[in-house]
Amino acid sequence: MAQNETAEVLIDCQSLWKIFGDRSGAAMAAVAERGLTKTQVLQEFDCVVGVAAANLQVRRGEIFCIMGLSGSGKSTLIRMLNRLIAPSAGRVLVKDRDLAALSATELRQMRARHIGMVFQSVALLPHRTVLENAAFGLEVQGLPKPERLRTAEAALRKVGLGDWMQRYPSELSGGMQQRVGLARAIAADPEIILMDEPFSALDPLIRRQLQDEFRQLTKDLGKSAVFITHDLEEAIRIGDRIAIMKDGAIIQVGTAEEIVLDPADGYVADFVAGISRLHLVKAHSVMVPVADFLKSFPGRDIAGLLTTGPEADIDALIGLTMHSDDGAIAVVADGSVVGVVTTRNLLLGVKGTPAVAPDTGIARRA
Amino acid sequence: MDSSIIVTTFDTATDSALGWISDHGGALFDLISAVLEGFYGALLWGLSQPPDYVLALLVALLGWRLIGVRFALLAAAALLFCAVMGLWPETMSTLALVISATILALLVALPTGVVAGYLPRLDAAIGPALDLVQTLPPYIYLLPAIALLGYGPATALAATVIVAMPPAIRLTALGIRMTPPEYIELGHACGITPLQMFFKVRLPFAVPSIMAGINQSLMMAFGMVVIAGIVGSGGLGATIYDSIRTLDIAKSIDAAIAIVVLTMVLDRLTQSASRARREDNP
Ligand SMILES: Nc1ncnc2c1ncn2[C@@H]1O[C@H](COP(=O)(O)OP(=O)(O)OP(=O)(O)O)[C@@H](O)[C@H]1O
Ligand SMILES: [Mg+2]
Repeated sequence: MAQNETAEVLIDCQSLWKIFGDRSGAAMAAVAERGLTKTQVLQEFDCVVGVAAANLQVRRGEIFCIMGLSGSGKSTLIRMLNRLIAPSAGRVLVKDRDLAALSATELRQMRARHIGMVFQSVALLPHRTVLENAAFGLEVQGLPKPERLRTAEAALRKVGLGDWMQRYPSELSGGMQQRVGLARAIAADPEIILMDEPFSALDPLIRRQLQDEFRQLTKDLGKSAVFITHDLEEAIRIGDRIAIMKDGAIIQVGTAEEIVLDPADGYVADFVAGISRLHLVKAHSVMVPVADFLKSFPGRDIAGLLTTGPEADIDALIGLTMHSDDGAIAVVADGSVVGVVTTRNLLLGVKGTPAVAPDTGIARRA
Repeated sequence: MDSSIIVTTFDTATDSALGWISDHGGALFDLISAVLEGFYGALLWGLSQPPDYVLALLVALLGWRLIGVRFALLAAAALLFCAVMGLWPETMSTLALVISATILALLVALPTGVVAGYLPRLDAAIGPALDLVQTLPPYIYLLPAIALLGYGPATALAATVIVAMPPAIRLTALGIRMTPPEYIELGHACGITPLQMFFKVRLPFAVPSIMAGINQSLMMAFGMVVIAGIVGSGGLGATIYDSIRTLDIAKSIDAAIAIVVLTMVLDRLTQSASRARREDNP
């Protein structure tokens, strides 16, 4: 993650609002002046707050997940990122350009070249073959036919549909159709891919498979992605960072580990309650500093402990602990011991409570 | 009596108004008449060139491709039966009338339908007008037409064109308007231009509806063309009208059979053309 924090910001949303309804202008003004809540806006103006004061940055090379329950404003938010929906207030900068300031032609080019999109409904054109569907974006850009078909073919091979190019969408399973949708997006070679719940209609097995393939493909191609889901497991599996939305507002942004270990409020805590920590929580989050360890267990020989790296997950730590006589693992980074994971820390980690040293209660990750 | 005076006054006023229009717009109506008759004449000439069995064969081939062997054989046999009844020239002139009227109607109706599909306001505005055209008894349209264009095929064509337009306008507008929203969104997300949106997204989805509209227009034209026998359209309509006047019931029934044959063949052919397109778009 460290290198990500310095990477270029591709999408920058600054206090973005969307209010739906006939009197959305007045409602927006009232919200700005009086800070009405969602319910008040509905009662007073008969308008629905879709997105409220959302801030987020998506960096190059990052997969950014937006998670929230139905109606929390995810689709509205992602559609403002390519201006399929115009915000009621706030700004969206894509590659440092304000979308609101672009002309119609510039906006078309921005969408065609830089921001691809994949929909839950897939929206494959039924009267076109799989190949022609994958080439649709390039066709719209005006690429000559042989060229766009060649590029689309390569994209279809990347998603494993090389043998299906002359078929029609109705002949494909749901999972395959989603792959075509993905191929259509990557054929146009955008830097950013927006995905609105692309996998939610699929069965769990296919879904898991597509999640892994999608993550691999995005990383291999060096793309950035904004991925919408209402499934936290999916967000954790795919996302480098996750934003949690509730009633149109983003209530927490962080890595899966940060969110699981340090939920911002009870709502997030409820969400993460059922999530398995085994592969999520890493040694650096559950270890205690060496000094604390020695305070609790005076005279223990640090050098004699089994060792591991700070990125080892709970699963690996449990494996090591099984082989260790003294129930403690030393965490080594750059050749020196940075902390110790005791069995107690490990159990707390499994439970999802961050590392607490026996008597100091420190080491909560910021 | 008072009321008869009112009626007489109204009649005189109408007469003089129509007289005024045909006096002052004479050149225009002559032109319209010439265009209509020229178009019809050319089509009739083309249809009259091949002998009856060649045309029957062509229809059979088309029917075989679009529908199946059984329909192909039946259609060819039915058409040849028209020839056997000695009504081939009349059948062809009715066919020419129907086709030319439908084509002229579509030339106006399809673009109008497309624009109405894009502009809900226009759609709402022309809706009542189309309702009116469709509710009035069709022969009403013969009256102004005969006053302005005179006795003959031009009048029949003009009235038929008017009657044939509404279904094509309605169903074209419907087809253009009914594009599933996710495809509109897809287009925008890909950076599509308005023209591309029409040809690559809206039109393909609208084709089945448009084809249904064309089929219905054709059927409306058929009904009108037969009625228009009364104003000298020629063709089977005129045959029926003449034979009823001379009480030649047998001949009028022959003509009616020919009309039924022609209607069924055209209906099935255009319907299956629209269905074939639909099967491409499952
Ligand atoms: N075009 C619209 N007009 C009016 N209200 C809308 C519109 N689109 C969305 N909303 C409202 O905005 C809120 C957020 O909707 P949105 O579709 O963004 O939710 P979502 O998080 O994507 O939900 P889901 O998981 O069901 O897709 C909802 O309350 C919805 O009713
Ligand atoms: Mg949604």
